[in-house]
Amino acid sequence: MDLERSRITRRGFVAMTGAASLGALLAACGQGGSSDSGGATTAAAAGETTAAGATTAASTTAVAAPTFDPASEPDGPIKLFEWVGYDAKEMWAGYTGGEYGTKSPLKFDFLENDQQALAKVASGYNPDIIHPCVAYTKDWNAAGLIQPLDTALLPDYEGIPEAIRTGGMIDGQVYHVAFDIGFSTLTYRADKLPLVQGEESWNVLLDPANKGRISIYSDEVSIIKIGALINEGAIDPNKLTAEQIEASKTTLIEAKPQIRNFWGNQNDAINDFVNGNVWATYTWPDGYYKIKNHPKMKDIDVRYMQPTEGRLAWVCGFVVNATSERPGRSMLAIAAANTPQTGAWLTDAFQYTSAQQAGVTDLIKNKDLITEFELDDPAAFAPPRAWFETPLDNRKDYVEAGSEVKAA
Amino acid sequence: MATEATAETPKVELGGRRELTRKGRDRLAGYGLSLPAIALLLVFFLLPIYFIVRFSLGVERFAKTPAAAELTGELSGFSTQLWRDFLGPGLELDILGSATISFPTWVLGVLFIVLVLGAVFGTRLRRYGGWVSATCFVLLLAPFMTIPWGNNLLRVARLSSEADYLRLFFKSVTMATTASVLAVLIAFPIAYFLAFGIKKSKYTWLLIVIAPFLTSYLLRIFAWKLILGDQGIINTAIFETGLRDPDNPLSFLIYSQFTVILVLLYAWVPFIVLPIFIALENLDRRLLEAATDLGASRLTALRKVTLPIAAPGIIAAFLFVFIPSIGEYITPSLVGGTEGYMFGQAIAQQFVGGTLNWQTGSVLSIFLLGVVLFLTLASSKFLRQGGGATA
Repeated sequence: MDLERSRITRRGFVAMTGAASLGALLAACGQGGSSDSGGATTAAAAGETTAAGATTAASTTAVAAPTFDPASEPDGPIKLFEWVGYDAKEMWAGYTGGEYGTKSPLKFDFLENDQQALAKVASGYNPDIIHPCVAYTKDWNAAGLIQPLDTALLPDYEGIPEAIRTGGMIDGQVYHVAFDIGFSTLTYRADKLPLVQGEESWNVLLDPANKGRISIYSDEVSIIKIGALINEGAIDPNKLTAEQIEASKTTLIEAKPQIRNFWGNQNDAINDFVNGNVWATYTWPDGYYKIKNHPKMKDIDVRYMQPTEGRLAWVCGFVVNATSERPGRSMLAIAAANTPQTGAWLTDAFQYTSAQQAGVTDLIKNKDLITEFELDDPAAFAPPRAWFETPLDNRKDYVEAGSEVKAA
Repeated sequence: MATEATAETPKVELGGRRELTRKGRDRLAGYGLSLPAIALLLVFFLLPIYFIVRFSLGVERFAKTPAAAELTGELSGFSTQLWRDFLGPGLELDILGSATISFPTWVLGVLFIVLVLGAVFGTRLRRYGGWVSATCFVLLLAPFMTIPWGNNLLRVARLSSEADYLRLFFKSVTMATTASVLAVLIAFPIAYFLAFGIKKSKYTWLLIVIAPFLTSYLLRIFAWKLILGDQGIINTAIFETGLRDPDNPLSFLIYSQFTVILVLLYAWVPFIVLPIFIALENLDRRLLEAATDLGASRLTALRKVTLPIAAPGIIAAFLFVFIPSIGEYITPSLVGGTEGYMFGQAIAQQFVGGTLNWQTGSVLSIFLLGVVLFLTLASSKFLRQGGGATA
């Protein structure tokens, strides 16, 4: 509906095509991951265990969607387990100003990374809405922590390209509503950081000339993926064997002299960069943008690396806790974040790509961002230029190896 | 006589009964008054430890369901696997970077206990007691005695292991030992000056020394980040004087073992000046006068009179720094970087960080707790004397 109403510009069309390609890739990866596992996937809400390859696209399976009734739900706060910054009032204005904004006010707690959020909720922490990346949806579901969603409460749901929507579906039901899409790569000072053979590459981590000049994200899975890209070149870092994980660990331990710090909060990385403590740091698009526009970086050539091996990338969004007493009201809050206006705000405020595509390109105020982050180039969102997170069957191996890199 | 005796007996019985009743009441009151403390100890110390031990043996797990446990990589039943993984197959002792001795991990455990007991109780031996104690103390510290040198530490000997977390533990012990020894070396002259060098307003000076405690610890660490950064105050001053190029700052000042040790020193030195100062303040000055009268130089008097008497205070001060430093989390997280990563951070990573494996975290915690508890108990006489002096 919204798509039909919207004026689709050339740029918007290209962006949508790009997003659709990305979604198709994600969906394909998701299904591949499922069949690779060969194991059973537990349908949490139903408490059933299905046979191998249980993940299927919703569009091909007719499963009745649950129906939530916000009016019959008890008053009380809706607890969100969110990323830092996503408590911005612009993101939730559509809900807080609505019927349930005061009856069920939003309360925020912040997560550090997906693995931590998953384990914390698995331990009994009970937020209503969580903001994991789509690659973890299978894990959340397998642990029985999330429930299928009533998308009838999301008026703009169709504005998310189908291919991306499919990535959040399990057994034909929607568990994850995509919200933000972004890259993870190195932001670096072109005047300082010597590139290996003049090429942008993750290999800078191994160059002794960069000793103590790089910081990276403390997330263990990302650490191992970076090592794999260094070792193997442009391969899918989501499908590493035990040997490749071990080799990646060895490489990152070898790269540790160059790594000055593993940051847990992107603001620390930004501060270190602008204060000259590092010349390159792993950031998301907003981190790069903040660094580039920092007063201390005026006249300095700051670049967002497009490594020859590819950037890491992600699609994140919302899930609702299986034990939530207010799934309907939670959906209304998610609906507020799923509008084209919020999508455009997301790009303007955080420089991320919105999963909501309907008319968003036109609503983005800072049009330079579209060029800067190649939002209109589908190839920028596909291998070998970007490797989107997909479900990992051997995630614990990644995490263990990443922890050992830090402890070594 | 008989009448007197008969008359006295019930008196005594009555008095005894009264005495017993009073004693009983006092004892009951004592138990009653200590109940809150016992309850606190039980609820906030023993009970959590009980559960942490269960976690470390795989009996309890963090994840609610077996499927979630599969994701977090936790065990679902009793196993000593995590302990075996942590302790690893064996250890290596590298002496002066040339000779390397390998031995099973349990040997170090036995050696550690023997050396600690030797260091603490060696002095009770009739002959060579002092030598036994001193030798044990030196052997105990030798693998961890270092001086900060850039991003790393210069070592006399170095304990290492194939097991990552145990190796990290040795690194943390090394950093904590270095910080503790340096803290005592810095604090002693300050305390000495306060005790013997100042005649008036001693306690005002003491207050000035401990003044940093009046501000937030986090704030002070962030201030250090500004001072030690590559474009911080120290490096900028060096650039201004032309001693170094701005492209070549003293990079070991931030995100290194040196930084962690420096900030720990800054945090702990004022604190441990206190017990040493009290130990010196309580020293009978007539002993020093007697030593001088007998021809001892000031240095000999310091070595033979002051130091032995102040020893409990000095050892207490060492332990006051060492015990919290070995499990430090905040300081290395903020200024340690990859080089200054410590055991406390690894524990936090397992409990509240990205890894979130409470079972592995419990193994690390119990091990740290065991080492610290043993050290505390073994050296409790010093802590008592040092603490007593403080009180």
